[in-house]
Amino acid sequence: MNDFLINWIANVPVTAVPYALAALGLIISERSGVLNLTAEGLMLIGALAGAGTCLTLGGYPALALLVAMVAASVVSLLFAVLVVVLRVNQVIAGLSVVFFCQGLTGLIGTLAKWQNKQIAGLGSLTIWPLSEIPVIGRIFFMQDPVVYITILIFFIVNFVLFRTMLGLKLRSVGENPAASDAAGVSVTLHRILAIVAGSSLIGLAGGYISVVSVKLWVTGMVGGRGWIAVALVVFARWAPWPALWGALLFGCVEALIPRIAAAGIRVPQYLMLMLPYLATIGVMIWVGAKDRRDSQEPGALGQPHVREERR
Amino acid sequence: MHDLSKQMTRSSTPSAAATSHRFGRITLDVRQSLPPWKQAVFVGGSLLLGLAISVWILALAGISPPQLASELAGVVSADSLRGVLVQAAPLILVGLGASLAFRIGFWNLGIEGQMIFGGIFAAAISIYEIGPPSTRLLLMGIAAATGGALWVLLVAFLKIRFRVNEIIATLLLNYVAMYFLFHLLYGIWQDAKTAFPQSTPFRPFERLGDIGYGLNAGLLVAIGSVLLAGWLIHLSRVGFYARFISANPRMAKIVSVPVQAVTLGLIAASGACAGLAGFINIASQEGRLTQSFSNGYVFSGVLIAFLSRNDPIVIAVVGFLIAVLFITGQTLQVFYQIPFTMVQMIEAIIVMTVASSEFLVRHRVRWIR
Repeated sequence: MNDFLINWIANVPVTAVPYALAALGLIISERSGVLNLTAEGLMLIGALAGAGTCLTLGGYPALALLVAMVAASVVSLLFAVLVVVLRVNQVIAGLSVVFFCQGLTGLIGTLAKWQNKQIAGLGSLTIWPLSEIPVIGRIFFMQDPVVYITILIFFIVNFVLFRTMLGLKLRSVGENPAASDAAGVSVTLHRILAIVAGSSLIGLAGGYISVVSVKLWVTGMVGGRGWIAVALVVFARWAPWPALWGALLFGCVEALIPRIAAAGIRVPQYLMLMLPYLATIGVMIWVGAKDRRDSQEPGALGQPHVREERR
Repeated sequence: MHDLSKQMTRSSTPSAAATSHRFGRITLDVRQSLPPWKQAVFVGGSLLLGLAISVWILALAGISPPQLASELAGVVSADSLRGVLVQAAPLILVGLGASLAFRIGFWNLGIEGQMIFGGIFAAAISIYEIGPPSTRLLLMGIAAATGGALWVLLVAFLKIRFRVNEIIATLLLNYVAMYFLFHLLYGIWQDAKTAFPQSTPFRPFERLGDIGYGLNAGLLVAIGSVLLAGWLIHLSRVGFYARFISANPRMAKIVSVPVQAVTLGLIAASGACAGLAGFINIASQEGRLTQSFSNGYVFSGVLIAFLSRNDPIVIAVVGFLIAVLFITGQTLQVFYQIPFTMVQMIEAIIVMTVASSEFLVRHRVRWIR
């Protein structure tokens, strides 16, 4: 039983990182007032770009993660132009980008023959001598580098969003674009910046799945994690730290599935695979059922800003 | 007159995207109206642009435009037109399903899940041999519509009772439905003879066959649904209520429009259409419950509803055109190893370009030197 618990908890960070990074990326973009549904697609782009880089160069996982970030940012420019410049309905634009990315990654992955090929990937970092501590060493000091970087990224994003002028402008654009515009803050510029910066983290989340955790590319491998990340943002009420705790919660659920099978407990496997999705819906019910007064939902979320239509 | 002068001063204010003055600058005005023919030009032009981008991407993927043209000609030729018509039936139904929900502002993105539950309910009627053979097919259709409607009403309940966002809930329930289907097909419903993850084949009287002139019975169901929905939306009181509710829900409630009943009714109808699409897919094409009979229908539904502006009659036409795209996609998959997800990519490109054309319809972009 102890082994089961330690194995389970030690695997939680690996399953939680994609949720945490993707949700954080979405929070950055939604704080600027852009309702962002693109995570599922951009994670696929990141996953494919990461796996493709590793397969082409034969290694270099750190570079592959960087390429994943850049690739997702470039594709997110398409979304940014659609919703910020052309003021397309943000739900329609987000969905189109997701399905565009699903089609594109399927096409490229098949034509380049990257399907189901093993990647060397990124090993875990052993922080000696802390890693020798029983139980805690295994859980906290024997993870891959990205796990530690993710926590660092959360500190940085939290600082930028709430302690700098840039963060203030970004949030003001999401709260009241007309007033920000009148105060001389460019709504267009800050929203595009937020989308692109957030998307680089979403790309990293996708690259992490293919390069570090699964270590291969399969069409559609993100499997709904992007949608769960969208729900996670609502659960976290658009605040970074709760998103991290939420990601750990979903990481626990996801890490549990292979552990139960490995422990030889007989449960119907396909019903087990429903767990993350059902847990997400359960969490959303819980969020909806309780009072939402402390929500930090941006005031202008989902509303395009057209200066000429200003009242 | 007063309004007009206000408008004049408003449109003369300097604009958002002002570039360097040496090259002049680009200004943006909000249009008051645009003649329909100009709107048609913009939408048509953006549609062509979307298709051009798609052709270009396919050329990059190794299918030259002449090859593509000959494949397309093959698809719409007399002998394979039958296949297109068979494919059109589920597409028209998912388009109809998406549009009925969009009409009252409910984002039903769970069409695949509803198709799966429609398929499961219909297959259950066949597997457990419920009802006499003569009414079996009818019973399967009713069961499918019920299955789809129940699966979407679950989300409607969550939305009304717990304010759960329906976009995410419907999308997530697609995965739940898929795994439930796998659970059945790898478990109690697996065909013992083949050991593939499929149900046992339906009996001949449980399949939608031809009804003469090379037409499939499934198409008849789809056309019937289109006419029914057309009557519902354009002629009946329900359509008027739906427009009222989506324009101003509070006012609708005040003048005692049955908001809850109309909303739930249309959402249920939306799920029922998707369930029927699932039934038609398995009863006319596959002849048994399979793993992947619902693949690629969510976004097709959104696209068809979006392009036809939720008008049931236009949906029939657009559904047919998307069926051509589907069959072409299947041909390219067989002969050129292009994955079928390519169809989704083209659909997404078309939605993006057509949605962008709205910008030109609403705004006048001018370049002032």
